[in-house]
Amino acid sequence: MNEPTQDAARSALELRSRELFEGSVEGLDMRVRSRLTQARHAALDAAARRRPWFFQMRVWTPAAGVTAAALLGAALWFGSPAGNHAMTAADQPSLEDLDMVASTDEGSGDAMEMLQNDLDFYDFADKAANSGPAA
Amino acid sequence: MPPFDTLPHAWMVWDVPAPARRGAVLEQTRELDKFLAEVERRAFRMAQVALRDADDALDVVQDAMLKLARNYSSKPSAEWRPLFYRILKNGIRDLQRRRTVRKKFMVWLPGSKEDPDNEAQDPLDGVADGGPDVPELLMQAQAMQKLEGSLRALPARQREAFMLRNFEGLDVAETAKAMGCSEGSVKTHYSRAVHALREQLGEVW
Repeated sequence: MNEPTQDAARSALELRSRELFEGSVEGLDMRVRSRLTQARHAALDAAARRRPWFFQMRVWTPAAGVTAAALLGAALWFGSPAGNHAMTAADQPSLEDLDMVASTDEGSGDAMEMLQNDLDFYDFADKAANSGPAA
Repeated sequence: MPPFDTLPHAWMVWDVPAPARRGAVLEQTRELDKFLAEVERRAFRMAQVALRDADDALDVVQDAMLKLARNYSSKPSAEWRPLFYRILKNGIRDLQRRRTVRKKFMVWLPGSKEDPDNEAQDPLDGVADGGPDVPELLMQAQAMQKLEGSLRALPARQREAFMLRNFEGLDVAETAKAMGCSEGSVKTHYSRAVHALREQLGEVW
């Protein structure tokens, strides 16, 4: 800050240079003064708009709400018994049955071949009944 | 856990400043306005001495004002002055560096114009219009021009120390904060600056 008590200790050069500087400050033209005033007002507007970080959180509130809702939905979906799509012991028999049906091992036979044999037998029996008793 | 019906009120408190807080903000804005109005012209002249260009000086001062307001307005007002001049000093340095780079680049371009920084300044440029004592003002303007020339010839640190201490009236500790150096360095830079100026200008010129 200004130190008037130290003026006495200052040399003539320091005092003269300060006097000249102050004179040049006073002599600033209106264009410069006006632009400085505008700059100051812009800075004050910026300071007024400045808010603490927790006030700025409001900007993020909608996004945070949507994210929280999505997380909650996901937790309910994957956490509920109805929506549990993970493999459990109860699922094992049905899968085994399907495996047996679809199996082509020799012991179990081919389902399509068995069906064809049945059809051949029924066709033979029908023809035999229609042809009457053998002579 | 507060009941649900109190939550909207909590948000209202967050959204709209309470009267006490609003009052404090207004008071702070008023204080900042006063501070900036007090320093803006001297800051401009100091920047003009360093940069030799009024428009650049205005830009740097405006930038310093904005940065102070945005980043440091919540600090105690006693800290604003050294902070402001530190921001200003950094802005001046950045601009000078950019100019140096640009100058080096322009040298390689054909038909590059003379650097406007080297143009002689009209001593009447800084004189206010319509003054009553024109010869006296002219003499002052010429003396100021001579002083500015001598200040520009100083190393940057010495010039900063001299202007902050002598023109702005900062004490040694504040000058050290503004310059980002120790108080001992400030004293050394200032003493060398006064010595160099005295050699160039004489005791009274």
